[in-house]
Amino acid sequence: MTGLQRLIGERRMPYVFLLPNLVFFGLFVFVPIAINFVYSVTGGPALFPSERPYVAADQYSYLFDCGSYVDPNTCREDHFWRGVYNTLFFSLFQVLAMVGLSLLTAVVLNMKIRGRGFFRAVYFFPVLLSPVVVALIWKWILQRDGLLNAAITGFGGDRILFLTEPGWAMFWAIFVSVWAHMGFYTLILLAGLQAIPSDIYEAAEMDATPRWRVFWRLTLPLLWPNLIVVIVLSLIRAVQTFDEVFVLTGGGPGTSTLMVVQYIYETAFSNQVQNFGLAAAASVVLGIVLFALTLAQLAFTQRKSS
Amino acid sequence: MAELKLIDIKKSYGAATIIHGVDLAIADGEFVVFVGPSGCGKSTLLRIIAGLEQVSGGEIRIDGQSVTNVAASDRGLAMVFQSYALYPHMSVYKNMAFALENMSLNRTEIDQRVRRAAQMLQLTDYLDRKPKALSGGQRQRVAIGRAIVRDPKIFLFDEPLSNLDAELRVATRKELAALHGEIGGTMIYVTHDQVEAMTLADRIVVLRAGRIEQVGTPLEVYNHPANLFVAGFIGSPRMNLLPARLAGSGQVVIGNDTRPISVPSTGQAASGGNITLGARPEHIDVVDENQADLTITVNLVEQLGGETYLYGSAPGLPELTVRQDGQARYDRNHRVGLRLKREALHLFDADGNAIRIR
Repeated sequence: MTGLQRLIGERRMPYVFLLPNLVFFGLFVFVPIAINFVYSVTGGPALFPSERPYVAADQYSYLFDCGSYVDPNTCREDHFWRGVYNTLFFSLFQVLAMVGLSLLTAVVLNMKIRGRGFFRAVYFFPVLLSPVVVALIWKWILQRDGLLNAAITGFGGDRILFLTEPGWAMFWAIFVSVWAHMGFYTLILLAGLQAIPSDIYEAAEMDATPRWRVFWRLTLPLLWPNLIVVIVLSLIRAVQTFDEVFVLTGGGPGTSTLMVVQYIYETAFSNQVQNFGLAAAASVVLGIVLFALTLAQLAFTQRKSS
Repeated sequence: MAELKLIDIKKSYGAATIIHGVDLAIADGEFVVFVGPSGCGKSTLLRIIAGLEQVSGGEIRIDGQSVTNVAASDRGLAMVFQSYALYPHMSVYKNMAFALENMSLNRTEIDQRVRRAAQMLQLTDYLDRKPKALSGGQRQRVAIGRAIVRDPKIFLFDEPLSNLDAELRVATRKELAALHGEIGGTMIYVTHDQVEAMTLADRIVVLRAGRIEQVGTPLEVYNHPANLFVAGFIGSPRMNLLPARLAGSGQVVIGNDTRPISVPSTGQAASGGNITLGARPEHIDVVDENQADLTITVNLVEQLGGETYLYGSAPGLPELTVRQDGQARYDRNHRVGLRLKREALHLFDADGNAIRIR
């Protein structure tokens, strides 16, 4: 290593250490991104880029060809727009529920309650499970002859079609996603809560501050940097949602829980006519949204650390 | 302003008892300082008074009313924390106004109180700043201001100067003394720094291992320490404590020496008994060896400009410290005769309790 350093100079040495990782990262991330972009500006069923005719922005035009963007029925590629609206709806309520429940759980787990360590482990446990396993567990619970319906009918109630009625299906998709991931966000918020010095709360107590005011005026503002991270991270994850919902509902009933990523997957690989170009264009659009969200997260994180 | 009474206060954490039945009465407007070494329970006692810790036994009364089971927020006390405990996301103004908003005062009243306190503490120019944009001394003043605006029954200070550098500590100490003169509230102040205790207190409460060792005015505690612990703790450099034995009424022999020295009185202590003789560094004169009570070999000389400290040893005695006014010149390893000022000596019996000789 000393000989190499003498040869190329000390300033270039860090790049030598970065090189192995950069090669793999480039091969499996940057090259596919570039290939994906090439696919998005080419057409036809051929798999090899060299065999695909250049179509410029036709795929994008096709995706965005809508009579009215608020009504997917007026769009040429209505499935894409149904996926977009489902993903927006899913992301909005999933993030709201995720942040609210994670915050509530973190606040409770930060209190001096009996069995605190046990509960912290319990809430984190689902994070360790594979999304497919999570979805399968809940599918067994929620399907027509599942555990929940067995309990309901056992108590004399009527079966509810949890996964085949559009409203219920979206509700459970959000619920299962929150259940599976809230442990991670709870952990981030718990760390934030524990970083607030206890003497600030004692000072507030001496200042005769009501508990609700302690929460709103002290805890929440002091936890805000962590909350921002949780909001942005959970939003990024919600926009990317695929596996859990796909296994749980298959995007149905109809297209009522079809997400953008599922649309991309099906357009490229699952439909009878595999349209790589259109799927790649949708991927680029989704990638731009995720990139913007990631930039926002980085900006907030940097502001926090400064 | 209010008076405070602690009756047989006890505090335990599991099997460990931290406070062993403390009784204390603090008068209206008094500045009382709890002083003692680390772990003596002084901060715990202050937190018990504040209501931030529950007692394991005993009663706390403020103005005759028992507040033992009253929440901290309802006791009407204000506390200045060692870490300042300012709300980091609020401006200086908001920090001071926060408690007043909790009291549902109108905006004009809040504004008047905050600005009055800010003026008193020279914080007017910093009202819009966040705590992180302030120096340590300014933060400390904000913490004090936050207490003042509430017009509390009692001010509690938990080692408020310990995070400040030496110069700022002296300046803030003077400001605190002036503040007490100005607003005149009952103040309880915890410190391990005996200089703060001596300079600020109307009365000092010396604590050790959860027990009160002595209560008195600074000079009472300094001039008449109740026992060996107080004698050794109060005073800097600390009092010289020398093993001795009584050689008849009014006669004491130091260490292995054979020559008795006379003291004003030895009280009821029995002749021949082992005692401890205490002499503060400033109560020892350097004299010719033929007039000396004892002779030391100089180990170290510290020149502080206005005063000189000699550290020396004598056979069978712990190291002695002698304070001399001005810039006295002594060489290391030289022998120096010392004479103890009889009227300022302290005697302690075998149990460590003071034998009153004056």
